[in-house]
Amino acid sequence: MLLSIIGNSIVIILVLVGLLFFAGGAVGILRFPDFYSRLHPAGKLDTMGVSMTMIAMAVYSLLHGFTLTALLTSLKIMLIVVFIFITSPTATHAIVDAGVRAGLAPWAKEDSGEEAP
Amino acid sequence: MRIFGLLTVLLCGGLLIYHTADFPAWGDPASPASTHLSPYYIEHSIDDTMVPNLVTAVLADYRSYDTMFETVVVFAAGIACFFLLRAAKSKTPESMLYRHIPTGITLRIEKGSKTPPDSADFERIDSVWVPYDLIIKITCRLLVPFIQLFALYVVAHGHHSPGGGFQGGVIFGAALILFALTHNLSNSLKRINEKTSALFAASGVLVYAGTGILCLLLGANFLDYSALAPLLGGDPKMAHSHGILIVEIGVAIAVMAVMVWIYYNLASRGRHDEGL
Repeated sequence: MLLSIIGNSIVIILVLVGLLFFAGGAVGILRFPDFYSRLHPAGKLDTMGVSMTMIAMAVYSLLHGFTLTALLTSLKIMLIVVFIFITSPTATHAIVDAGVRAGLAPWAKEDSGEEAP
Repeated sequence: MRIFGLLTVLLCGGLLIYHTADFPAWGDPASPASTHLSPYYIEHSIDDTMVPNLVTAVLADYRSYDTMFETVVVFAAGIACFFLLRAAKSKTPESMLYRHIPTGITLRIEKGSKTPPDSADFERIDSVWVPYDLIIKITCRLLVPFIQLFALYVVAHGHHSPGGGFQGGVIFGAALILFALTHNLSNSLKRINEKTSALFAASGVLVYAGTGILCLLLGANFLDYSALAPLLGGDPKMAHSHGILIVEIGVAIAVMAVMVWIYYNLASRGRHDEGL
């Protein structure tokens, strides 16, 4: 009983923290001034939000009986976390790289109020 | 002439829309499909084919003809891209770029001039060449084997979970395209060239149709896998399960090869000299 309460609270806390990261990422994408700085929340906070919520799911699948099936499910979810943790920042890096190569200048404080050249 | 075309389209479209009114209602329990077909599949598929996944049983056993011609459609798409896009004659370009790897110097060689010798020091590069990005390259090198392994899992696990030949083949093709994207076209053409991909595309369809013909030769109907029981061992019901797996592998090979083939033709505008 106590174990279930502790497990459930861990799941709830992880999901809430993950959602907080997602919310921060969404606000950042909307509020930041230019392409590069918008990729910053898109890359970092989404990765963290996905990781947190996925870990919460991995814990949740173990809560209802610690069986081999449940263990396999949570292992698979943890694998998803690992792959997202590797690929999502790489994708952001690739997009930034493409932006730099295409010649998009980063936003600077002097030309605030205007479109980035 | 155009007015006739328009009239034909309008007439056909109108007829189609008019006759949709005759269809049974969405989810109608009294429609023919729900009264005998679906209950039969639901009740008998596990006994007939030993496949727990109903969708796979219907797709690759009861409706095997459909799936065979779906594979043929995929193959035809690859062939169509080949005929539409592939440039028949590879023109020698006006100038070629070579990169001296130890120094990083790029040489521009005009048409007709002497090209550098084939050695590890020189490599031919695309006209829109960009330096290799270490991070992206390493990440993809890390991921491609896992994606391919997952593709094989999806193909083999179609009996028990969502998956099967089409999905697994697409994932495998996507892994190869990811490799081509992170390296370049000539690099991936070295791994799997155009002839190989075309051959694989055709042989995938051949595996499917060949299984059907083998059943025919063994004295059963086309694609009736129970005839394969003496070859595969086990009883006729297990032969259905194995037969589905063979067919799925054929589908996966065809889909994978066609994906790669279409990518090659699209990425290089049919010239296969340089591209992403």
